[in-house]
Formats: sequence, C-alpha cells, structure tokens
Amino acid sequence: MTQFPQPATRATAKLVIAGGFGVGKTTAIGAVSDITPLRTEEVLTTQSTATDSLRGIEDKTTTTVAFDFGRVGWDVPDPVELYLFGTPGQPRFWSFWHDLSEGALGAVVLADTRRLESSFPAADFFEQLGLPFVIAINRFPGTTPRTAVEIREAFDVDEQVPLMFCDARNADSVAGVLITLVQHIANTKSANSALLDA
Amino acid sequence: MNSPTGQDSLEAEALDDTATIVRLYAVTDGRTRARHHLALHTVLGPGRRSPRPGLAEESVRIVELCGQRHRPLAELAGTLALPVTAVSVLVSDLIDAGALAFPIPDRRSEDSDLQLLHAITAGLKRRHPNATAKAG
Ligand SMILES: Nc1nc2c(ncn2[C@@H]2O[C@H](COP(=O)(O)OP(=O)(O)OP(=O)(O)O)[C@@H](O)[C@H]2O)c(=O)[nH]1
Ligand SMILES: [Mg+2]
Repeated sequence: MTQFPQPATRATAKLVIAGGFGVGKTTAIGAVSDITPLRTEEVLTTQSTATDSLRGIEDKTTTTVAFDFGRVGWDVPDPVELYLFGTPGQPRFWSFWHDLSEGALGAVVLADTRRLESSFPAADFFEQLGLPFVIAINRFPGTTPRTAVEIREAFDVDEQVPLMFCDARNADSVAGVLITLVQHIANTKSANSALLDA
Repeated sequence: MNSPTGQDSLEAEALDDTATIVRLYAVTDGRTRARHHLALHTVLGPGRRSPRPGLAEESVRIVELCGQRHRPLAELAGTLALPVTAVSVLVSDLIDAGALAFPIPDRRSEDSDLQLLHAITAGLKRRHPNATAKAG
C-alpha cells in the first residue's frame, strides 16, 4: 500500500476524554498523542443577571476554561486523524461541554477509585447527551482494589456501557481503551440501524 | 501545567482569567464574535490567495501553521496560546480574505461512519499491537 504524504487526505474523527480532577485525562491523551497535549483556553461569557442586559458588558461575567487537545494520525491501512479532546475537570459550564462534544463519535469517562464520584457528572452528561461512552478506571498504585461490579453499581449506568481498568501512562493500555470505545460506538450504531431496518 | 489536586487547578484557572481575556481583546480589536461558525474540531487549510501584507503576527502564524498541514481550530488556539474565540475571529477574517479555506467537507453518512470506525480500530491496533480491548 502506498504511503500518503499529505495528512490532508486523512479523514478526521473526534473523541472526548472526560472525568473528574486529576484522574489522568492529560496523561492519557499524552500517552497516545503524536504531539504533546496542548492546553487550550476558551473564554466564556455568561449572563450574570437575568434582568436588564441592555447595558451590555457590565452584566456579563467572563471566565476562562481550559481543555486539552491531542491528535494521533496514520496513513495505513486507511488515512485517519484522530482528535482527542480532554474536558475541564468538572462540567461547571454545560454549554462548553456541549461544544467539546459537538461532532464527537464517543467519549471515555476516566475515573480514579479514590474519588469515583468526581467522574459521575461526566458519565451523566454523556448518558443524557446520548453519546456512546466507556468507563475506564485509571489504577493508581496503593488504591484499594474495587471490583468492576462495585464500580458499575456506583456509576449506575446502562449494562451496555463497557467498563475497564487502565494505566493512563501506558500507551498500549490507553489504546486498548480507545479501541474498546470505537468498537462500542460501532456496536451501538449497528444496533440502532438494525432497529430501524426491522 | 498539571496539578495533582483539583484545588490547585481551580486557583490557577482563576488567576489566568484576566491575562487571557486581555489577550483575547487585544488581538481581535475587541471583537468576540466570529463571522463563520467554527467548531473546535473544524479543520482549516491554506486558501487560494496569499495573505495580504501587514497582517497581525498571530494571523501570519495561523496561515503558516495551516500551510504546513491541515489543523483544527483547537490546535491553532493551543499552539498560539490564545483563547479559541480570538482564533475564531482571526480565522474568519482569513477565510473571508481567501488566505484560509475549509479543506474537507464536513459531511458523513451512517455508512461511511461505520467505515471510519473500522479504520480507526485498524489503525490503532496496527500502532499498538499489544493493546488489549475489552471484548463485547
Ligand atoms: N501512578 C500513577 N500516576 C498517574 C497515573 N495517571 C496520571 N497520574 C499522575 O496523576 C496526576 C494527575 O494526572 P493528569 O493527567 O494531570 O490528570 P488530569 O485528569 O488531566 O487532571 P486535571 O486536568 O487537573 O483535572 C499527574 O501527576 C500524573 O502524573 C497513573 O495511571 N498512575
Ligand atoms: Mg489535565
């Protein structure tokens, strides 16, 4: 097979890496990305008062959110460029989480067993959005082992949602999570179109 | 850049705000709305026309970066360390001036979506032969 010299011919796809503070989102993106994850900022303007917004800027609050961007691309067997977007720690600004998820094929919800609950909002968000996602438990050393069953119960998500353990620092491990996600997206799509055909 | 605890991240975020907002207004002459709808993943490439002389340094950099390879808006913003909104405004100007263009039509059918998913799986497996996916 010939090598495509121009990344220009690559099809692009977007995945989101979400989860609470310090669960390893940036580390996971860096493990598989061709570039060092870029910390990218956005300025959000929110209406701080519901009344009289005619005076303009004084009634608005401006805040900055930061997210991660990484990418991994290849030309064989088929040219693809995969964009990885890492969310800010908490979905404080729902509108921004929508922007991050716009056009995404699916999401990884990363979690840390010491603070599972910090990743619950992320799982809830994708569930409500109807975006396929997997839960990946980033195993930090010295943490009390918890079974997949316990964790699944805590998350209280659909049984179809794949749940797995990973090491965010390890490229193969993160790639395994992404492959699981992409297969889950494909299964979800096939199931949906089978329903439509029936 | 990375902080081990959430509290630190929150504080760093708060401290950064003012400087970031100042940079935003400085490069866009106070404009905060782009004329084109650009998503974070919108891919940009070189346009047909060379950029006019006298462009702002940031705009020149954007044209250079997209000339090297196609890049999404988020990558441009991260590379330039500018807020996404600021880069959206500059990119919109450059599109209108013909110095940047959208290289890939953002249209996909269900069918090609499945093809794309298979292409991603195949590519990831090829790069990471030792990766193990959870079956199911
Ligand atoms: N031991 C161990 N440390 C990890 C692992 N993953 C991440 N870390 C470390 O944990 C810390 C937090 O990881 P980050 O990747 O910055 O986490 P994050 O989710 O991006 O954090 P925020 O962006 O602040 O929400 C860093 O110091 C990492 O080096 C892991 O699997 N094992
Ligand atoms: Mg991070």
